[in-house]
Amino acid sequence: MSKNTIITARDVNVFYGQKQALNGINLDVPRNKVTSLIGPSGCGKSTFLRSINRMNDLVDICRVEGEIKIEDKNIYDKDVDVVALRAHVGMVFQKPNPFPKSIFDNVIYGPKIHGMVKSKTDAEEIVEQSLRRAGLWSEVADRLDEPGTGLSGGQQQRLCIARAIAVKPSIILMDEPASALDPIATAVIEELIDELRQKYTIIIVTHSMQQAARVSQRTAFFHMGDLVEAGATKELFTSPQDERTQNYISGRIG
Amino acid sequence: MSKMFTSAEKHLKSRHRAELRFRWMGRLAILFSLGFLTIMLFSIIMLGKGALNRAEIALPIDLSIEHVDPSDIEATSFSKLVRNALFEAFPEVTDRGERRRLLGLVSANAQYELKDQILETPSLLGQVQTLWLTASDDIDLYEKGEVDITLPQDQRRLKDLEISWLKTFEANGQLRSVFNKAFFTSGDSREPELAGILSALIGSILSLTICFVLSFPLGIMAAIYLEEFSKKSYWSDFIEVNINNLAAVPSIVFGLLGLSIFLGVFGLPRSSPLVGGMVLALMTLPTIIIASRAALRSVPGSIREAALGMGATQVQSTFHHVMPLAMPGMLTGSIVGMARALGETAPLLMIGMVAFIVDLPQGFTDAATTLPVQVFLWADSPERAFLEKTSAAILVLLSLLIVMNIAAIVLRKKFERRY
Repeated sequence: MSKNTIITARDVNVFYGQKQALNGINLDVPRNKVTSLIGPSGCGKSTFLRSINRMNDLVDICRVEGEIKIEDKNIYDKDVDVVALRAHVGMVFQKPNPFPKSIFDNVIYGPKIHGMVKSKTDAEEIVEQSLRRAGLWSEVADRLDEPGTGLSGGQQQRLCIARAIAVKPSIILMDEPASALDPIATAVIEELIDELRQKYTIIIVTHSMQQAARVSQRTAFFHMGDLVEAGATKELFTSPQDERTQNYISGRIG
Repeated sequence: MSKMFTSAEKHLKSRHRAELRFRWMGRLAILFSLGFLTIMLFSIIMLGKGALNRAEIALPIDLSIEHVDPSDIEATSFSKLVRNALFEAFPEVTDRGERRRLLGLVSANAQYELKDQILETPSLLGQVQTLWLTASDDIDLYEKGEVDITLPQDQRRLKDLEISWLKTFEANGQLRSVFNKAFFTSGDSREPELAGILSALIGSILSLTICFVLSFPLGIMAAIYLEEFSKKSYWSDFIEVNINNLAAVPSIVFGLLGLSIFLGVFGLPRSSPLVGGMVLALMTLPTIIIASRAALRSVPGSIREAALGMGATQVQSTFHHVMPLAMPGMLTGSIVGMARALGETAPLLMIGMVAFIVDLPQGFTDAATTLPVQVFLWADSPERAFLEKTSAAILVLLSLLIVMNIAAIVLRKKFERRY
């Protein structure tokens, strides 16, 4: 593993009951870069994303084989605590899902349960810093006690990003974070993702190839449970090696 | 109309007619049910409103020193005072049978009322005082105009002789109707004019308290475990089916269970609100579990994902986020279950809560009865005057139900949050 790689996936097979959803995925994810996972619906890109913070554990019939190493530690080892893992690997979901609490409580919830808040000034500092990093501070600074659900869709999604980074993760997983948003809100989120890459490693699942091209440095193309091709985003889009990748980016499949 | 629409137009009229027909059938159904509800409420109110009043008879009672010793009031024979007052009111009555009828005009309780009045205001002593005493139930019915005096004498309990005495009282202003406070402040009695619902009301409240304390935490804990924590397996399916079946088990079966386990094995006190509440809790549990599970299921999965995704444990996710959102539904379900328990009679009959309770229950282990059982007991009594008591008790029961349902709505509104 090179110093610049943070996640290495080796021979990852995921099953839902009898059905195999991912077939022997091998992928290296570089540190402090944006990696996008693209592919047609049902190709397994979200399943792979959810294997990285073990959200698949919540599905009773789901089984994961192989290993995913984060900083040289296989997260499927017996001694790995998923709670600690998920504090380390944050997640932003497709639909903005703030808690039905105040904006302040939304952001501070994670740090609170992980015991990162010692005092009230601590809490205020964490909230301000997280909201600033998520580019939301200027919009909500004067109404932190209003419900997070009262914000616009784009603001809600940035609140969810603020909530994720408040826990100080090193990796942020994003599952189609802009698919429920309008183009303007999407542009704001994409800009934000580009800024966040300075401090975090970001893996983003997206349906939109344009979005992948805009925000990511590396792209992995999934098709029917296989990882077809992975490489620098520019190269993958300009000179794909595999015929299926070629077909997908030219719009013939998907 | 252009040709384009003709194919659709062919059936358009009958489709619209079918829609209109359905709408009207729905409206009629609602109208019918509302109508029956109104008739039911109206008839119960009409029957029960009489219980709010009772008749009293004024009698001049000789409280001079030769009859009542002011230094030893307890030694007085108050029944004799009442008796003498009645005999003096109608000195012409001498026949033993007729004299007994004369004494029957006032309630059996009259002597104690007299004593209480004297103990309250000792200044009454020393002379003849005109005091109001509760009339017996037949007189009460007559005063309310519920005795049909046109019937032949042998077909009614109140004979012509008594009616003539009453007419005299009426003419002298010695008969009046007052608010029947005793109905709300005393326990059951064999005498309809003295019977009250307070002991049954207290019994109901005590039983429901036990029922709530047992079934609410148990029910929502079971629901939370089944819905949020347990893995889907053969066993969880088996348990789910059985909980649904339990909710449909006739309530008297729970009574039998309570009889054999709580009374038979554990030896808990018979007729007590403790056992009654435990039996009702058994009956209410499945309802609460089912309602709470439905409430938990209606919380969007995205909330759980959000919490778990940032490293909350399953317990934190459930208690910090899912349960507060499911609370209104859980509370509503529980209160509906409680309301069912409040109206339950059958299982309580099995554990002996069908008792004749005069004294107010002081605690959870005292013998008690509940409102619906009281209704059942009064409905079963031969005295006609119990008819209005029965209806009035039903009204009290209904009011309690309405209060509980309003509480459910208020709690729902209070805890409801947008997500």
